[in-house]
Amino acid sequence: MNTLLQSFRKNRSLWTTLVALLFLFVLAVLGLIDQDAEGGARYKNVVFTILRGFSTGSIIFGLMNVLNMAHGAIFMIGAYVGWTVIVRPDTAVDTFTPIVLLASGFLLAPIWHKSINKLKLSSRVSRLWPWLSLAFTLVVLGFFVPQYPITSWNLGSYETTPVNYAFAASQGQVVVPEPKLFQGISPLLGLAGIILGSILAGLTVTGFATSRRANLAGAAMQTESSWKPLIYFGLLVFLGLLVFSFNTPISEFLYSLDSTWLFIIAILAAVITGAGLGALIESSVIRPIYEWHMYVLMLTMGVNVIIVEGVRSIWGAPEFTMHRPSVFAGTGEGCPAESLSALIEFKCSTISVLGGRIRTYNEIFITILGFIVLVAVWMLLQRTRLGMIVRAGVQDSEMVKALGINVQKIFTIVFALGVGLAALGGVIGAPSTGLTTALGESLLINMLVALAIGGLTSYPGSAVGALMVGLLQQFVIKYGQIGINIPFMEEPFKPSPPLVPAMTVLLMVVVLLIMPNGLFGRSK
Amino acid sequence: MDNNNLLKVDQIHTFIGQFHILQGVSVNVPKGTIVALLGRNGAGKSTTLKSILGLTPPSQGAVIFDGEEIQGRHSFDIAGMGIGFVPEHRAIFRDLSVLENLRIAERQKGDLEKKEDFIFSLFPDLKRLIKLPGTNLSGGQQQMLAVARALVPDNKLLLIDEPSEGLAPVLIEQMMEAIRQLSAETTVLLVEQNFIVASQLAKDYVIIEEGQSVKSGQLADLVNDPETIHRYLEVA
Repeated sequence: MNTLLQSFRKNRSLWTTLVALLFLFVLAVLGLIDQDAEGGARYKNVVFTILRGFSTGSIIFGLMNVLNMAHGAIFMIGAYVGWTVIVRPDTAVDTFTPIVLLASGFLLAPIWHKSINKLKLSSRVSRLWPWLSLAFTLVVLGFFVPQYPITSWNLGSYETTPVNYAFAASQGQVVVPEPKLFQGISPLLGLAGIILGSILAGLTVTGFATSRRANLAGAAMQTESSWKPLIYFGLLVFLGLLVFSFNTPISEFLYSLDSTWLFIIAILAAVITGAGLGALIESSVIRPIYEWHMYVLMLTMGVNVIIVEGVRSIWGAPEFTMHRPSVFAGTGEGCPAESLSALIEFKCSTISVLGGRIRTYNEIFITILGFIVLVAVWMLLQRTRLGMIVRAGVQDSEMVKALGINVQKIFTIVFALGVGLAALGGVIGAPSTGLTTALGESLLINMLVALAIGGLTSYPGSAVGALMVGLLQQFVIKYGQIGINIPFMEEPFKPSPPLVPAMTVLLMVVVLLIMPNGLFGRSK
Repeated sequence: MDNNNLLKVDQIHTFIGQFHILQGVSVNVPKGTIVALLGRNGAGKSTTLKSILGLTPPSQGAVIFDGEEIQGRHSFDIAGMGIGFVPEHRAIFRDLSVLENLRIAERQKGDLEKKEDFIFSLFPDLKRLIKLPGTNLSGGQQQMLAVARALVPDNKLLLIDEPSEGLAPVLIEQMMEAIRQLSAETTVLLVEQNFIVASQLAKDYVIIEEGQSVKSGQLADLVNDPETIHRYLEVA
C-alpha cells in the first residue's frame, strides 16, 4: 500500500492520465451494454468490442522494435510471402534455391577478411578493388539470376494473376501449374553461376568493410583460423541444391498438405524472410549511420518505398485474399460452436458466446498469439543475457563494447528479430486484412501513434499504447454502428469511419500534451 | 625492460572528429604495478585510456598489449584479451540491477561465481544492494560497482579513470584500499586528478600535457620535485 502511494506521488500525471482514460473507457463500456427483451443487461457488444480491440492491438504490437519506417513494409512482405507459400507453394520452392545460394557466399566473409588482412594491400588498392569486384559481381549475377527458372504467376493475363489464384485456392480448386525448367543454359552452369556470383558478392562486401577501417593505424585483426564459415557455406549450398533436385516432389507434397500445415510453414517462411531482410537492412543501411537518428528515419522511409514498389511489381497492385487455415475455417454442421469440444471437433470459424458470434481466428487466435509474443519478448528482454545486453546497450553501447561484447552483432540480431516479428504480424494478419500494397502504411501510422502514447523508451509502454489504440479504434467503429446519445441532440451521433484514425491521433495528442514523453517514457 | 611491460603505448595520435586530441602519447605499464596518468583537466588522459581500448582508435602509433599489436582492432576484441575498463563518471547501466551489472561483464559463464568472494570482500556494501537497480545507487556505490564490474572476468589489466572523483573522503579511503588490494592480482593504469591519492597508490607516473606525454618516472621522485608538480599539475 505504501509503495503504491509513493509511486502515485512520484508519477502524479501518469496516474491522473490513466484514471481519466479508465473513466472514459468505463463510460464507453457502459454505453455498449444494451437491454434484452426482458430488461436484462447484455454484455455482447462490450465483450466483442474489447476482444476486437485486443486483437487489433496485438497486430499493431507485433510491429514494434526500433523506430524503423520500413516496419510497415516488412509487415506487408510477411503477408505476401505467407500467401505465396499457402497459395503457390511451387513458386515458394522454386525461389528457395536461388535465395539460399545467394545468401551462402556471404558466410565466407570471415575467411575473406583474414586473407585480405594477410595481403597487406596499400590503401589505394584496398579502396579500389572492392569497386572492381562489385562490377564483376553485378555482371555475373545480372547474367545468371534472370536465367533461373521460377514457376510463377503472370500479371499480364487475368487467368494467371495472384487475384485469380487466391480466389481458386479459397474455393478449394487447386491446379498445379507446369514447372519451369532451365532454358538455353545447362542447369549445372546456371547454379554454378549463382554460387559464383554470391561468393563474389561476399568478397565485395568484405572489401568495402575493410577499406572503411583501412585508415586506422595498423588495423591488425585477430587471426584465429577457423574453418567454420566454410562448413556453413557448404551446408547452405548443399541445402539449396537438395531442394533444387527434389523440386517437383517437394512442390507436389506441399500442394497435397492441409492448409493448416501450409499456414505453419508460411509463418516460418515469412518470419525467416523478414528476419533475413532485417539483418540485410540493418547491416547495409542502418549500421553506418546509427548515431544520426534523423537519417535512419529517412533512409528506412526510402527502404519502405522500395519494398512497396518491389511488392507491387512482383505480386501486382490489385488486392487479393488469403484463406484462413482449415482449423479456423469450419462452417456448416455443428457451427458456430457452442462448446470447446464442438469447436475442436468441427474446427469452427465462429463460436457462439452471449448470444453473438466470435470469430475464432480474428478475435481469439490473433489475440492469444499477440499475448504470447508480448510475453516472449518481455522474457527475452528481462531474463536472458541477450536482453540484458540490449537493455545496457540502449543506454551506453560504448561501455558494453568496453566489456568485450560485440554490441553491433547483438543489435543486428535484435533488429532482425524485431523485423521478423513484423513479418509474423503480416502473415498472421493477412487472412483478416487481405493483401494490399497499402497494408504497411496504415499499420505504420497506428504503430507510431501507439509508440508515442506508450513512450518511446519503454517496452511495456508500447504494449499498453498498442492496446489503447486497438481498443479505441474498435470502440469508435462500434459506436459508428449504434451511435452515441448526446443530450439536446435529436439524432444519436455516429462517428463515421474516417474518424477512426483521427481519434487515435487525437488520443495521442491528448496524452502527449499531458505527458510529453508518453505514458511510460523517460525524459532523456 | 620492454619484456616486463604488459602494456606499451608508443607515440599514439588520436583524432576525435577534427580535433587532434592526442599528439604523441607514450606509456609503459610494467606487469604487476600501478601506473598513474597525471595531468590537468583536458590534457588527454581519458582519451589515452579510450584509445588503448579502441573506443577512440588512434590514427598513428602502436599499442602493444601482452606482446601483440592491438591498435585498430575492434574494442570488444581488445577488451576480450583481458582489459577491464572503469570509465569516468562510472557508466553504470541504470536499467540493470547490481547483479545484472556484474553479470553482463562475464566473458565466460561462471566468471562471477569465481570472483564473487573477492569482489564482496573488497566492497561488502554491494552484496546488500545486489537486487537494486543501478539507478538507485549513490555516487559512491556506483563507483564501487564500476570497479567491481571490471573485476568479474579475469582481466590482466585494469584501466581506471578517476576513481576518487566526487567521492567523500571516507569513501576515497575505502576505494584506495580496494585498488591497493586488487593490484596484488592485476596490473593497473590509473588516471587520477587527486595527486595525493595517486602518489599513495602508484609506483610509476606519466604526465600528459596538451595531448603529449611530457614526463615519466617514479612517483617517489616526483613527490620531491615541486617544480614539476607546479609546472604540470597545479591549477594555474
